[in-house]
Amino acid sequence: MRAMGWVLLLPAAAHAQPDLANAHTLIKQYCLRCHNPKAATGGVNLQPLLGAADSFATRAGLWNQAVSRVRDASMPPKGQPGPTPEARDSFTSFAAARIKAAACADGIQPPNPRLRRLNRNEYAATVRDLLNIHINAGHALPADGAGGEGFDNAAETLFLSPIHAEKYMDAAKLALDYARRDPRSRAVFLEPKGDARGILEGFLPRAFRRPARPGEVDRYLALFEAERKRGGTFDDAVLHAIQAVLMSPHFLFRLETGQYAIASRLSYFLWGSMPDKQLFSMAEQEMLRDPATLKCEIARMVTDVKATEFAERFVEQWLGTRDLGREVKPDPKLFAPFYDAEIQSGIKYEPIIFFQEVIAQNKPLLDFIDSKWTVMSNRLQRFYGLKPTPGIRQQPVPVDLPPDSHRGGLLGMAAVLAVSSHANRTSPVLRGKWVLESMLGTPPPPPPPNVPELPESHDAAPKSLRERLEAHRANPACSGCHNRMDPIGFGLENFDVIGRWRAEDAGKPVDARGQLPDGSTFDGPEQLKAVLMEKKELFVRYLASKLFGYALARGLTAEDQCAVDKIVAAVQADGFRAQTLVREIVLSEPFLYEPKTPVVKRP
Amino acid sequence: MTRNLSRRTLLRGSGCALALPWLEAMAADPARAKGPVRMAALYMPNGVHPEMWTPEGQGREFTLSPTLAPLAPLKDRLLVLTNLWNAGSVGGDGHYVKISGWLTCTTITKTLGVDISVNGVSMDQLAARKAGAQTPLPSLELATSPVSTGVDRNVGYTRVYGSHIAWSGPTTPLAKEIDPGLAFERLFRAGRPGAASGKGDKALLDLVLEDARQLKSGLGVADRLRIDEYLSVVRSLEERLERAGAKGMASWKPRVPVDPAAKPAEHKDYAELVRLMMDMIALAFQTDTTRVATFMFGNEVSNQNFGFLDGVKGGFHDISHHEKQAEKLKQYQMINQWHVAQYAYLLTKLAAMKEGEGNVLDNSMVLLGSGIRDGNRHDPHNMPLVLAGRAGGRIDSGKHLVYGPDSPAANLYVSMLDAFGTPVERFADSTGPAAGVLA
Repeated sequence: MRAMGWVLLLPAAAHAQPDLANAHTLIKQYCLRCHNPKAATGGVNLQPLLGAADSFATRAGLWNQAVSRVRDASMPPKGQPGPTPEARDSFTSFAAARIKAAACADGIQPPNPRLRRLNRNEYAATVRDLLNIHINAGHALPADGAGGEGFDNAAETLFLSPIHAEKYMDAAKLALDYARRDPRSRAVFLEPKGDARGILEGFLPRAFRRPARPGEVDRYLALFEAERKRGGTFDDAVLHAIQAVLMSPHFLFRLETGQYAIASRLSYFLWGSMPDKQLFSMAEQEMLRDPATLKCEIARMVTDVKATEFAERFVEQWLGTRDLGREVKPDPKLFAPFYDAEIQSGIKYEPIIFFQEVIAQNKPLLDFIDSKWTVMSNRLQRFYGLKPTPGIRQQPVPVDLPPDSHRGGLLGMAAVLAVSSHANRTSPVLRGKWVLESMLGTPPPPPPPNVPELPESHDAAPKSLRERLEAHRANPACSGCHNRMDPIGFGLENFDVIGRWRAEDAGKPVDARGQLPDGSTFDGPEQLKAVLMEKKELFVRYLASKLFGYALARGLTAEDQCAVDKIVAAVQADGFRAQTLVREIVLSEPFLYEPKTPVVKRP
Repeated sequence: MTRNLSRRTLLRGSGCALALPWLEAMAADPARAKGPVRMAALYMPNGVHPEMWTPEGQGREFTLSPTLAPLAPLKDRLLVLTNLWNAGSVGGDGHYVKISGWLTCTTITKTLGVDISVNGVSMDQLAARKAGAQTPLPSLELATSPVSTGVDRNVGYTRVYGSHIAWSGPTTPLAKEIDPGLAFERLFRAGRPGAASGKGDKALLDLVLEDARQLKSGLGVADRLRIDEYLSVVRSLEERLERAGAKGMASWKPRVPVDPAAKPAEHKDYAELVRLMMDMIALAFQTDTTRVATFMFGNEVSNQNFGFLDGVKGGFHDISHHEKQAEKLKQYQMINQWHVAQYAYLLTKLAAMKEGEGNVLDNSMVLLGSGIRDGNRHDPHNMPLVLAGRAGGRIDSGKHLVYGPDSPAANLYVSMLDAFGTPVERFADSTGPAAGVLA
């Protein structure tokens, strides 16, 4: 197989850079009729973009707006003449690069972190660690929506509804009722210091993730005393005060400052939970800006059992596999084996434990594209049609793959193959789209309005899906994107809806050949993965920006992209090692950024 | 004991609530006996088969369409509304703009999250804002699935938009309860006056409210809004706890008490989940725990597998892109009709709940609809909409109302808000009340 020309397959990467004049021409030709200083339709006037060359710095917001509308083809509106898909790609890749270059030129100035509350999972994990209990106190809380880079920890989409207040009260009650009866839990938060003041002095800083402020303990102590006066027992009254702590904005929101903010950023990034004793004490000693210390801490944290939380939250949302078995359900009549509890959990956890292993063992990130190992139980091995390895049982563990396994990397995983399928059949379109979107970060724009239908078959013999899709691509309105999506999906046709290997489909041999827009061809997943491996920089960059967005718990700005450049360069220089990625993210300016005006004024 | 047991058995069958003694007590007060007006809105994602929805004929002379056939026994209590739409939902994208704007009649700000806004308030929340203080819960938001994960980079929207119809403010979607058991517990507890250790909880909430107030001065504008959000939800909880003293609530008691033993069992599939949620709306209305409810059969773009319907294969969203294939259209229509049948189940249940001279349905307005007509084309024109119940006699039901093409749905909402007792001059792009709705 020869090197593939990706010119048409990938929009942003490989185009010849058109000059500024071309971008200006496009704006003049297609935008200015409505978005001129006089009409300024929708309040948008694009004239300023045509002026001085430094408009990329001075009018970055406006440029960004133009780029995103041109990219997703929502402008010009339906019925108006618009640029060709190729012209759109050239325009957006050129302008995006210039916006970034302008943003990076004067150094990275990250935005102040927005105030955010703990999301549902963080709440549950934090209560667990705070009280040393082993129940999920957050199970009744409403789920959180996602923003930014696509994660449910994004500050901008963590709303509060009236229902939250009720549920936080209930959840705290539930957790404390449980904790008061559990000796292991009592030992952690109730019994180290006998009197109420002692207990609260120990508890408050842990719950608020920073030292108590003057007078703070007294206020909660007053609540304890009032409850005692009402006739509550000592335990009742202390737990009442602690319930208040768990309802306080200082607990529910991430309000820490200085070194304590860094400790919490680290722990919510890598554990999805509160800092432990060691992080607290390092914050106290102001050690958490020292790169060497941070390196050691990261190595410690990613090998801790709590890193599973990180792997699960990040991977499920990155790959879209959280919905598997819920919103995404293979047809139970056609794919019964998926509904075996052990198989299904093996499928769901394969990418999660794989990710955790890549990070903990500091393996190359390229293992996500292709690897000689994966994570399986003996049941999953059989499900994949592999010979069970002696000694492997129910517990999913990293296993070396035989050479002809067809597995390895994300594209050999049933979870990925299932979320990119329809319930009852595979879809080369969806799988191709999944790869472009989730691995390369180059999602195709949505289909144009009034999508032409797949042509009906009038022949005696019904046409195959491949033939119908090929006819579909003959339509120039469709071909621009489907030439990028469909062939990739065909390369994965040997996997059925739930990711089992198949040589035949409906009695015919599977045709897993893909022909790319430049005419080059490949056959089957192994060759497809080799093609993707040639695009490893694109993959690593996308993974880095996803992980960065997750770590920062917000959407990335143009300036953050400058930080991503640095991170990716460092990762590449170090053989794509996973921990280097985590470390470079932590050491980046946006992650360690301390707002100029403190988030909270000390009283 | 025997009486108790049989009563419980009866309750399970009839939808959770006790009946007789309270009704008798209420009969003494005619105003109370008549019952308040309630309002619910039920959302179907992915639109409907466009040729199978609209009835034949207009006005009082109309024949129900195949999709609306399950409503036949309730025909004289319906208003089928044709040619209404939300002009703000044109463009943007196929789905998100249509669902978030369904009850707001606005267009949403395109964003992955940072500047999320529906640029309005949903009409159910407007009603709740004005009348919510009269019941333990101002409103109830129910659904079958949690907010969708992730952001949709293809079209540039956060999926938060596709997961909410109730917005209490432009930037505040209301979280949904998706577990019938938890919904039941909420109703049960909210309906018990003086429950829990009222006084202690109030002191507790006062303390954390004080924490939040102290915080605010040091924060930037956006962060202060978040803390305001916190203050408002904690305060609303506090008000509820001490609602005996709260204005307008002094006289509240459940119209029908709730039996804790009637808590719904674990549901085993989607169909059962929907039924249980319908039961919860009925219970909430019957007891008067709230007068405003919304329910989402699914988030927009839901690919719920309807394989449990004989002849349907595959996910809802996939099928809604029927590409005019007869086989898919047939399945699409079956799914739509199943939704209508669940709606009919709720209406029938409400109609069976006696209240004064009439029943709960007579005193309610229950809207069923979608922001999309034909899912294949993401068509926002002529939204499928049907309204049931007479709002205590304020609504002139039993008609198929056909408006001029592209009339604002906001007009219908103006009429509904009027019938609910919370009239507004204007709502979003309304041009007046919708003709023929009010009696």
